[in-house]
Amino acid sequence: MYAQLARLGYKIGIGFGIFGALARWIFGQQIAAIIGLTWKAAFRFRLFIVVAALLLAAVVGLPILIKDDGTARGFTQILLTYTLSAITGLLGISTLWLACGTLARDIEDCQMQVVAVKPIPRWRIWLGKWLGIMSLNAALLAISGFSVYALLQWRATKLPVEEQQTLRNEILVARGSIKPKNVEADIRDEAEGRLKQRLTKTPVGAADLPEVRKQIREQVKAEYEQVPPGYTRTWELDLGLAKDKVRNRPLQMRVKFQSADKSASGTFEAMWQFGVPRKTRIARSQPMSLSPETFHEFEIPENLYDENGILTVSFLNANNTTLIFPVDEGIEVLYPQGSFGPNFARGLGVIFCWMALLGALGLFAASFLSFPVAAFFAVGLLAVVFSTKTIESAVTEGTLGHFNAETGQAGRLPIDVVAIPVFKGILQVIQLAKGFSPVDSLSTGRSITWSELAQAFGEIVLILGGPFALMGMGILTRRELATAQGTQ
Amino acid sequence: MSATAVIEQIEKRAPADTKQTSEVVVSVRGLTKVFKDFWNRPKARAVDNVDFEVRKGEVFGLLGPNGSGKSTTVKLILGLLYPTKGHIEVFDHSPRHVATKARIGYLPEESYLYRYLNSRETLDFFGNLFELPKADRENRAEQLLEMVGLSQTQLRAVGEFSKGMQRRIGLAQALINDPDLVILDEPTSGLDPIGCREVKDLILALARRGKTVILSSHLLSDVEDVCDRVVIYYGGRIQAMGQLKDLLARPDAIRITSPALPRETMERVLELIRKDVADDKVRVETPTQNLENYFLEVVRKARQAAAETSGATSGATVAAYLRGDGETKPSGEKILERLTMPAASPIAQKPEPALAETVDQSRLEALTKAPETTPAVTKPKAEKPEELEKANEKLAGLVKPKE
Repeated sequence: MYAQLARLGYKIGIGFGIFGALARWIFGQQIAAIIGLTWKAAFRFRLFIVVAALLLAAVVGLPILIKDDGTARGFTQILLTYTLSAITGLLGISTLWLACGTLARDIEDCQMQVVAVKPIPRWRIWLGKWLGIMSLNAALLAISGFSVYALLQWRATKLPVEEQQTLRNEILVARGSIKPKNVEADIRDEAEGRLKQRLTKTPVGAADLPEVRKQIREQVKAEYEQVPPGYTRTWELDLGLAKDKVRNRPLQMRVKFQSADKSASGTFEAMWQFGVPRKTRIARSQPMSLSPETFHEFEIPENLYDENGILTVSFLNANNTTLIFPVDEGIEVLYPQGSFGPNFARGLGVIFCWMALLGALGLFAASFLSFPVAAFFAVGLLAVVFSTKTIESAVTEGTLGHFNAETGQAGRLPIDVVAIPVFKGILQVIQLAKGFSPVDSLSTGRSITWSELAQAFGEIVLILGGPFALMGMGILTRRELATAQGTQ
Repeated sequence: MSATAVIEQIEKRAPADTKQTSEVVVSVRGLTKVFKDFWNRPKARAVDNVDFEVRKGEVFGLLGPNGSGKSTTVKLILGLLYPTKGHIEVFDHSPRHVATKARIGYLPEESYLYRYLNSRETLDFFGNLFELPKADRENRAEQLLEMVGLSQTQLRAVGEFSKGMQRRIGLAQALINDPDLVILDEPTSGLDPIGCREVKDLILALARRGKTVILSSHLLSDVEDVCDRVVIYYGGRIQAMGQLKDLLARPDAIRITSPALPRETMERVLELIRKDVADDKVRVETPTQNLENYFLEVVRKARQAAAETSGATSGATVAAYLRGDGETKPSGEKILERLTMPAASPIAQKPEPALAETVDQSRLEALTKAPETTPAVTKPKAEKPEELEKANEKLAGLVKPKE
C-alpha cells in the first residue's frame, strides 16, 4: 500500500518536474516561477483539492439525481449536458475567485512589494498568474472531463447491443452538420423589394418606416418557414466535400418545427422524401407522428444525393394546420465525421477558452481593485453577459422606452440614439463568447472541429481576453503598489 | 596594574571613509510625495522636498520617528511609489528600471512573504525571479539559511514562523542576489538581541565588501552602531544630515578611560586636570559595558553548555558569497566568536592598541606618571558573583527557544 502510494507520489513528482521544466522552457524562468507559485497557493490553500472533489462529486452524483426520458440516448444527453454545465459553472466560479484573489490579495497583503522590486517586469507577473490559473484549469478540466468520459463509456457497455449502437451513432460520435443554404440575404432582398412596391403605392412617414420594414421582413421570413396544409416543401442540402466521406453510409436527419394550431393528439403527421425522381435514388419515409417544438432524429438511407453532393429533402404536410420550420434550426442533416473521444476533448477545449477569459477578467479587475470589489465587479460583468435578453429586446424593439407588442409601436427616447448602437456593439462582443456551445454540440453528437476550436481560442481568448490582459498588465505596471497600507 | 590609558573614541568601521568612492548609488533631489484621496485631494505630505545622495560603500541611515517619511522614501527609491515632485536615480536609472533591480536587495518593514511557502521554497522562488541557475539558488539558499539560523526549520511554512524568524527569512531573501545596494527597513524589528547583533554584523560585512546599505530605522542604537552617514527625518523633512561621528562629536569635552587606579594616582590626575578646568566640569565614574554586550556574553556561555532550540538558531556564518569568499567555500567562523574580535565588532568593547593612535600622547604620559599624592576617588565596583548569577537567570529566559 505504502509502496504504491510512494510510487504514485514519485510519478506525480516527476509529472510536476516535467511540467515545471516545460514551463521554464516555454515562458522563461521568471514566469515559470510565478506559475509555480500559483500552483502552490492553490494546493496549500486546498483550493485545488476542494474544486476537484466538487467536480468529481458532480460527475458521480448528478446521474443519480437527474430525470430523463427513459431511453439510453436521452439519459446520455442529459448526463452530458448536466455534468458539463456543472463543470463549467464550478470551474467558472473558482477561476474568478482565484484570479481576483491571487493578485488583489498579493497587493493588499504587500507580498507584491517584495516581488515587484525584483528584476521582473510587472506584465510578466500578471501573465504568470494568468498562465498559472489556466494551467490549473487545464488540470481540473482534464480530471473532471476524463471522469465524465469514463462514466459514459462504462454506462454504454452496460446497455443492450442495439442501444449501444444507437448511442454510438447519435451521441457518442462526432457528426458533421449540413443545413440548407442561408436564406437571410434572400429574405432581406425580397423584403426590400416589397417595401419599395408598397412605398410607391402608399407613402409611409419616416417615423413609421422602420416598423413597416420590420413587419414586411417578418412576413417574408414566415413564407420561407411555413408549409401550409396539403403543401410540399423542398430543401436542398449541399454535402460538399463530405459527399465522398459519407458514401455508402446512412445519414441522420434532425428536424424541429412549430405548429400554427394545436392537435388533439399533440403530434402531427410527417412524410419525407429524399432524392429527386429520375435523377437520384429515392427513399420515402413511413408516415411519422412527431411532436412540435422538439428535435427529432431519424435515419436517411445511404447514397441519395446527386453527383454534386446535393441532397434533396421534401416534406409533405398532411395535417390540417400550417407547420413552421425555422430557418436557423428547422432542418439539418448530420453525418459521421469522427470519434467521440477527440470531439469531447475539443469540447473541453472550448470550455477551457471560457475559463481563460474569466481568468483574464478576474485578474484585470484585481489589477486596480481590492479583492472583494474585484470579485463583485467581475461577477457584475458576467451578470450583464448572462442577461443579454434585456439588451436583445431593447435592440429588437429599437428603444429603451415603452414598446406596445400588439401595435408594434415603440415610444422613442432621446437616449436611444446612443444606447441602441452601444447595445448592438455589446451584443456583438458577447456573441463572440456565447456563439460557441460545446455542451450542446457534445450532447447532440455534433462535431466540434479543430477549426472551431481555433476560432474559439481566437475569439474568446485573444479577441475578448486579450484586451482584458493588456489593460490588466498596463494598469499593474503603472500603479503604485505601496499605497494600500496608508501613508507611511 | 596597567598604567595605560586611552581616550575612548569608538570607531565603528575604521576603513569606511577610505572605501568610499565618489560613485553615487542613489541620488534624491527635491523629492516630495503627497498622498491623495479618492477625489485627488491632497491627504498627507509624507516627504517634503528631500535631497540626499548615497555613495558606494556607505552605510546610510534614515533615522526618524514613526510617520516621519522614512519608509515612504524607501518605497520611492524602490519604485513602489512615484514621486509627486522631484527626481530619484538609482545606479543612474529611474527606480522603475527593471534591470537595475537585479542589483538591489530589499527587506521591507514587515514580513511580506508568502505564508504558504517554506524557507527554502521562498529563497528558491526569489532566486528564480533573479534568474539564478539552479545550482546557485540551492547553494545560496543553503548558505543564507545557515547564516540567518533557519537551517533547522527550512521545511516549515513561513506563516508558522515567529516574527523574528520571519525577519530572518526576509533578510535572507533580500540577499539572494548578492546585491550591490541593500535597503533594509527596520531590519532589527522583532529580532532578539543576538539577531540584532548578527544583522548589524552582516551590514558591516556587506559594507566591507563595498556594498551600499540604506538602513531605515527608528532605533537609534542600530543606526549609531553601523551607519557612516545619516539623515534625520521629522514631518517628512530632513532635519539633520551628515557623518555620524561629526553629528555626535562633542569637541568641547574628552573622556579618558583607564584600568582602575590607586586612589592617590587618581587624586594626582584630578589635581592636574583641575588646574585647567573648573571642579564642577570634571566627572569621574566607573564605566559600564552596555547590556547588549553583557547579554551576548551570557548567551555565549549558555551556548557552550550546548543548549538546543527548536526555533531560530543563532546565525552561524555570514554566507560565503556575501563575504566575497566565493560561492562554495565553507566557513566555520562563528559570528559570536568573530564578535569578540576587535576588527569585527561594531562597538569597541576593549579599545586598546588599535585605537591608541587617537590619544594625545603627551597627555597620556602625564596621566600615567607615578602618583605623588593619594586623592580620594571612588573605586570601580567589582561585580559580585551572586549578582552575575541573578542576571544570568533573568537573561536565560530571553534566549529560550522562540515558538
